[in-house]
Amino acid sequence: MSALGKIADSVDAYNKFVAAEVARARTEEKFAAELRAKWAKLHASIEMTSSPTGTPLPRLALPSTDEPGAIAEYLLGQGFPGQFPYATAAYREMYLDREVERADPSALASSAAAAKSPRAEVSPRHPAKVNEEPMRLFAGLGLAEDTNARFKYLQRHQKSLRLSTAFDGPTLYGLDSDHEGVLGKVGEGGVAIDTVEDMTRLFAGFDLTRTDASVSMTMNAPAPVILAMFIAAAKHRFGPGCVPNLRGTIQADMLKEVQAQNEVIFPVDASLRFLCDMIEWCVPNMPKWYPVSISGYHIAEAGATPVQQAAFTLSNGFTYAGLLKARGADVNAFGPRLSFFLDCGLDVEYLVLGRVCRRLWAIGMRDVFGADAKAQILKLHTQTSGRSLIAAEFQNNLTRTGLELMMAYMNYTNSCHSNSADEPFTTPTEKYALLASHGQSIILEESGVFKHTMNLFGGAPGLLALERQVEKGILDVFREMDTLGGVIAAMEQRYQRSKIQEAGHNYEKQIYAGQRPIIGLNKYVSHEPLPSVPLARTSPTKQRLQVSRLKAFKQKHTKKSPDALQKLENVARSGGNVFGELVNTVEVCSLGQITACLTNVVGKFRPMV
Amino acid sequence: MAAAHPPRPAAPLRILTAVPVCDGHDSAVTTINIELARHGLEVIYLGYHQSAAAIVRAAIQEDVNVVGLSSYNGGHIVFFKEVADQLKKSGNGDIPVFGGGGGTITKADERVMKRQGTDRIYFAGTPLDAMMAEIKKDYARAAKPNAKFKGDRALARAITIAESGLGTRHLSLVTSPQKSRRCFVVGVAGPGGAGKSTLIDELTSRFLRSNPTGRIALLANDPSHPDSGGAILGDRVSAIYAQDDRVFFRSLATRGNLTGLSAAAPAAIDILKQSGEFDLIFVESVGVGQESDPFRIFGKGRKLVDATLFVLAPYYGGLIQLQKIALLNGADLVALNKCDHPMAHTAKAEIQARLDQNHREQKLHPTTAAKHFDPGVDALFTAIAKLGRLDVSRGGEKACSMEVSS
Repeated sequence: MSALGKIADSVDAYNKFVAAEVARARTEEKFAAELRAKWAKLHASIEMTSSPTGTPLPRLALPSTDEPGAIAEYLLGQGFPGQFPYATAAYREMYLDREVERADPSALASSAAAAKSPRAEVSPRHPAKVNEEPMRLFAGLGLAEDTNARFKYLQRHQKSLRLSTAFDGPTLYGLDSDHEGVLGKVGEGGVAIDTVEDMTRLFAGFDLTRTDASVSMTMNAPAPVILAMFIAAAKHRFGPGCVPNLRGTIQADMLKEVQAQNEVIFPVDASLRFLCDMIEWCVPNMPKWYPVSISGYHIAEAGATPVQQAAFTLSNGFTYAGLLKARGADVNAFGPRLSFFLDCGLDVEYLVLGRVCRRLWAIGMRDVFGADAKAQILKLHTQTSGRSLIAAEFQNNLTRTGLELMMAYMNYTNSCHSNSADEPFTTPTEKYALLASHGQSIILEESGVFKHTMNLFGGAPGLLALERQVEKGILDVFREMDTLGGVIAAMEQRYQRSKIQEAGHNYEKQIYAGQRPIIGLNKYVSHEPLPSVPLARTSPTKQRLQVSRLKAFKQKHTKKSPDALQKLENVARSGGNVFGELVNTVEVCSLGQITACLTNVVGKFRPMV
Repeated sequence: MAAAHPPRPAAPLRILTAVPVCDGHDSAVTTINIELARHGLEVIYLGYHQSAAAIVRAAIQEDVNVVGLSSYNGGHIVFFKEVADQLKKSGNGDIPVFGGGGGTITKADERVMKRQGTDRIYFAGTPLDAMMAEIKKDYARAAKPNAKFKGDRALARAITIAESGLGTRHLSLVTSPQKSRRCFVVGVAGPGGAGKSTLIDELTSRFLRSNPTGRIALLANDPSHPDSGGAILGDRVSAIYAQDDRVFFRSLATRGNLTGLSAAAPAAIDILKQSGEFDLIFVESVGVGQESDPFRIFGKGRKLVDATLFVLAPYYGGLIQLQKIALLNGADLVALNKCDHPMAHTAKAEIQARLDQNHREQKLHPTTAAKHFDPGVDALFTAIAKLGRLDVSRGGEKACSMEVSS
């Protein structure tokens, strides 16, 4: 049996345990009394607040019951916010208005477990940090300075420093901007990064050592090279001592690349080795950095159903945990450094997807991997669905994204990106990027839905019914993959890919057949001409500028780069930690030079049909 | 008396589909490939992240009616133009290019792209059936000899003519009296899923490394769908080393022929041999069973190939099953692929014992083609080179530059 089978069994065992405890609460008076006392204490810890119209409200809503079975069901089955099994939320009092600590993985990691007061202690290491904004706006276009300008534009509306970077195609595939045939792709759909100098330009003017700074990078196959460039650029600006203070996330999820997103350079085993090298280096050296973001987003965008998205994402996460453990890493050291990223579309299952995932991750990590509390918490980033947005009558996309945001927040996501309505045509233009950001502010700050009371919805009968079905669906997929030999064996048999493709094909067929209404596309079509929106495109002049900068960099380092590449090759061939060496290599070598060097050592990925 | 021969149906339309370089969005193209095949087209799918040069090379070698590109992350204006320009410059401007990109390609882009040589853009919301009908109607054409075609396109067109059943009289066009290389033809057969395509690709990389000037040809046979007559010919997707001008790769659909090869395969082999271009030719059969003989190695007639490589995976089902496989008697070379599989240990012993019964000194080659730089594949290639007396002395490790972009 692979770990997946054990995880599925552990969830069943946990559910049986909960049922037994509920029964015990109803029959054993002593246990019932304990639960009632605990419940009273929890209720007493809840502060009151009031809405702007004067309605008094508790800051945290709990099921209204005194029945010991129901109390046990809630506390053990769902979990008090910030308590195992974390279905309700990873932390207490997320999103609440002012003066209260909001969800912050690194600050709360030390305080959440022990939090008895409703106002969780602010971590002493970050005295200035109080409110953690969930909003992350993904941006990347043109050259580094263009993205830098967009960051500054978006930043005007945020209290804390939040930089989320999209990269262009050549960078995502580890190619230099002067690689034959890629010029037209330079700076398209994301920022072009070839060298450490580009990385320096990208974050110019931002103090990345601020305790409220958080940088995220949507980067996978070349993630180790790009993160090494980020570290090198930060060291140049803030001194070598800055590294432990760098906060943020790099995606680096190679399993989902092979299964869905297709940005793969090296063979699977080498890809996983480079990733594990990076994680192992980051855990001690960058304690505030998330070196992997285990992502369902691209799995869902490529066609997966919500249940498949959750099942493949969680199983990928458990696979990384298994690989790291097999390399001798401590689950309690790396566990809290794993983070997750889910898509949120309009299908009903999205109402509970984050909740179910947190619960399954916590049970699996605790009961199969022996993880402690901090390593049980699934920290979630959500992005609204790009696939749900369409070009026809595109302003409807604002409503779609708004609804998806609402559902993401109902799942108490730790951070969130909202898509721009113009994304079906272009990298977001300023106007729609700003509307997307304001959508989040309207829901969280303008509306009263989330800011007065936490857990307005959790425990509702409809949600509970959905949670049970979604959980069952996920466990069924786990068991199917278990019979195939686990995640990697299933992947080699194309299991995930064919399931995703099949689901994507069904989705398209439903649209064409009109069974899945898409307003403006196959229902209530008003035949408006497609809008002419100003497109964010990179001009050929800029693309050539990027190439000339790259050539100048290569020229400048022409003497030093061969030695640096030779050192890297030696480390790669001898089985050493490649990331430890990359931190040096990027000083004098470009992304493409490094990719070519590593390809010579480990070979190329062979795509699966 | 009823007519013995019903009218020959028109040869299926051949289309090359691909996703441009640095773009991994393949869900739209996957859906469209399935629809195209369902509508009776032969779809040669090249995969995602494909350079313009690779697309043009494949379009030429496959002699397709049309190229369809699915682009989702920008840069389409430059990229589509590059593909159209390269086709034109190489004398293959008769192959039209169309494409789509959901909402990423705008109406304004379409106008520019049409001026720059793109035939048509499909926008989001186009009904698939309408798209299919239009493609079938607009891109049908007869496979006639064309004296203007040069190089690989001339070879490719000769094979297309052979495929359409018009005989091999076009052969003279590709016969080059100047070039008369000795050519070694290896037939590769084995059950579906044994890893034949991957193994051939790894052998191709060994050839390219060991012979820095020679050329190799690959004929990949895949079954047609019995109902629609269409096919998805996807061998190019995982053939990462075939993306080289020294490799001629042609996908053949069987079009109802049940021998394990296209009915045109013998003619295609002759065409490739006559061209004098190639040192080595691999002919890959469809997945074959126990009594197939795709290369006609049993019996008295002329064999289609100079040597046969039989490939199987460790999960063949037991000793009795092994006994039944006729090609194990006739094959010159036998490879047990997927040797990283737990059953490989037993399989090696059982298959070697089975080969020993033949008293032909057949040696089993254990390989793990999916593993890069597998020494088992090295040994197999050395055996092939020895058998075919290939000149492999000129090369070296650096001869095949590892193209970073596939």
